[in-house]
Amino acid sequence: MDVQRVLGAAMRPAAGAVSAGLRLERAGRGAATRRLSETALSALDAALVSPFAEEAVDRALASAVVERIVDRLLAEGIVEHVVSRILDGPEFERVGGAVLESPAVERLVAQMIESRLADQAVVHLLESEDLWRLIEEIAESPAVTDAVTQQSYGFADQVAGGMRARSRNADAWLERRARKTLRRSPR
Amino acid sequence: MSHVEPRPSERTLARRARPVAARIHAESRDRTIEWRYEGLVTRAIGFAIDAAVINVVAIAVAGVVALGLSVLSVPDSLDPVLIALGSGFFLVWSVGYFVTFWSTTGQTPGSRLMRIKVCQADGRILGPRRAAFRVVSLTLAAIPLLAGFLPILFDERRRGVHDMLAGTVVVEAPELDRRAPTA
Repeated sequence: MDVQRVLGAAMRPAAGAVSAGLRLERAGRGAATRRLSETALSALDAALVSPFAEEAVDRALASAVVERIVDRLLAEGIVEHVVSRILDGPEFERVGGAVLESPAVERLVAQMIESRLADQAVVHLLESEDLWRLIEEIAESPAVTDAVTQQSYGFADQVAGGMRARSRNADAWLERRARKTLRRSPR
Repeated sequence: MSHVEPRPSERTLARRARPVAARIHAESRDRTIEWRYEGLVTRAIGFAIDAAVINVVAIAVAGVVALGLSVLSVPDSLDPVLIALGSGFFLVWSVGYFVTFWSTTGQTPGSRLMRIKVCQADGRILGPRRAAFRVVSLTLAAIPLLAGFLPILFDERRRGVHDMLAGTVVVEAPELDRRAPTA
């Protein structure tokens, strides 16, 4: 135990020196990084406000580099990937929902419906032969004809069901009367 | 000295069991069939619908034939023959209508609308002969001022004279399933 205490006392100045060195290194690195970042931002600001920046951008856009970048993005499917990621992601639904829920969109839709443009669009739509062809196709589709048939059956069944119920009541009444007349016990 | 009786053969056992089994099954079948017999008004409405169908078809056909004959300038002396022929065809059409429907589905269009069905007492569909006999019996029951139909009001199984003669009953038919068939 005594040996450990002696060794600890002997190592304390050395440990203090090491930790002081580490603190100094950290402080120096942080100051250098800050200074470098500030210098880089200042350089960027200077570059952006300089008349050469605009010229540089014009030249870059005029060159074939931009076209090549776009071609490459399209060829490698990066654009599709980005679009599908946006469409599949919850952000799109959230943003779309917020847009649709907004009162501005509601007002815009109301204005569109009330505008003459909508009336004209409806008139054009009604005049188009394609619309009537589409309606004809839908009306002749098996699903619609089945639904109409089922509804017709339903109505006919309802009428026939009412008639059946009444006729059976009439049967019961007639038999009661007949049995009563002949003084027979009821069924 | 003990006497051991020989065990009866399989054939003997089957012969002895047959009448017992028949009695048991017949009884259970009778117990399970619970018909709802149909009354006079329901049947009369069904019959009226059938009569309307028969007459509408007959009138339409007669109209077409009369129009055709009007072009052919048939002599008036043939009128009795044509009337007799028309009556014959009408009789055949009327009898054929009932016999065909009763002996195939047990339901005429009128019966189907009223959801009733003609069958034998045990539930079987009528044969053509029995169906034809029922048509004749129906006519006979109607002759004495429809008195042949009065037993329907009193009989336990709501049978008219024609039902008693032909051994038939008129019962409620099960509801049809009109859902569209799935592919």
